[in-house]
Amino acid sequence: MAKTILAVDDSASIRQMVSFTLKNAGYEVIEAVDGQDALDKANVHAVNLVLTDINMPRMDGLKLLELLRNLSHYKTIPILMLTTESGDEIKAKGRAAGATGWLVKPFDPKRLLEVIKKVIG
Amino acid sequence: MAEMHSGDETDNFCSNQSVTVGLNEVLCITEAEVYFKNIKLELNQIDRLVCDAVNNLVINFKYISKLTKSHHEMVLAIEKMAIPKGSKPILELLEKQMVIADKIEQELDAAITSLQFGDLVTQLLTHTTRQVEILSTELQRIDLKGNWKADIATLEAMQRKISYAVNVAQTENERKPVVQQGMQMGDVELF
Repeated sequence: MAKTILAVDDSASIRQMVSFTLKNAGYEVIEAVDGQDALDKANVHAVNLVLTDINMPRMDGLKLLELLRNLSHYKTIPILMLTTESGDEIKAKGRAAGATGWLVKPFDPKRLLEVIKKVIG
Repeated sequence: MAEMHSGDETDNFCSNQSVTVGLNEVLCITEAEVYFKNIKLELNQIDRLVCDAVNNLVINFKYISKLTKSHHEMVLAIEKMAIPKGSKPILELLEKQMVIADKIEQELDAAITSLQFGDLVTQLLTHTTRQVEILSTELQRIDLKGNWKADIATLEAMQRKISYAVNVAQTENERKPVVQQGMQMGDVELF
């Protein structure tokens, strides 16, 4: 059975590129346009991994990460941050909030798939 | 704001030299508002153009990718048909086709990385728009209803206030969301 990835980004083009890459590799993808949308969808769907942007309207990726980690069924689900941000301070915040890893945009499709495979197989 | 410079024109802050200082102050604010509004409109226009271009490129990309997949499958099917007959020239030709298909796939992968430029540009434009908004707000806060006189002291006071406004704008919007200078793949770190 294909594993499901929740891809969160307010940029439509990024969502399309992420979905295209993941679907081609055999993953099922649920798209969310911001943190709030992702939180709503995470409560409804069974997800194996969350891949989220940080700077988004309504709810940013760090808040989403924090709220997901408070949910019992998301305590151990890998959450990868995919963002333009690369500063040490914000990375440390993400790490402290429970992020599994940090990927700086632009992503390379092969490298993204390698990381995901490493994290969820 | 172009009129609010220092220099020899110490007798006037705005373009209309025949009006009183009090009226000039009002004109300065209005001009500044229009000026900042126009900058924001232009930034929005750039964003719309970039988004439109990216959307079109993504559609093109997906179509090319679909065609490449079909082509790949077709070559494999022809290869299967050709093998029993053992036609060496056909097999060689198909092998070359497969090499080309692989190269196209590599290029498509590279295009996925490049096509992310739209997101980076949009974030930078949002950041710049925010800076303009903050600066505009801060400049409007400058007390122009004070007892301004058209002299050096007034200009100096005005300059100090403008510097303060710029500093506030910088402080309030310090973190730049995009620091990338090119479209090379970003770093990956697993915690």
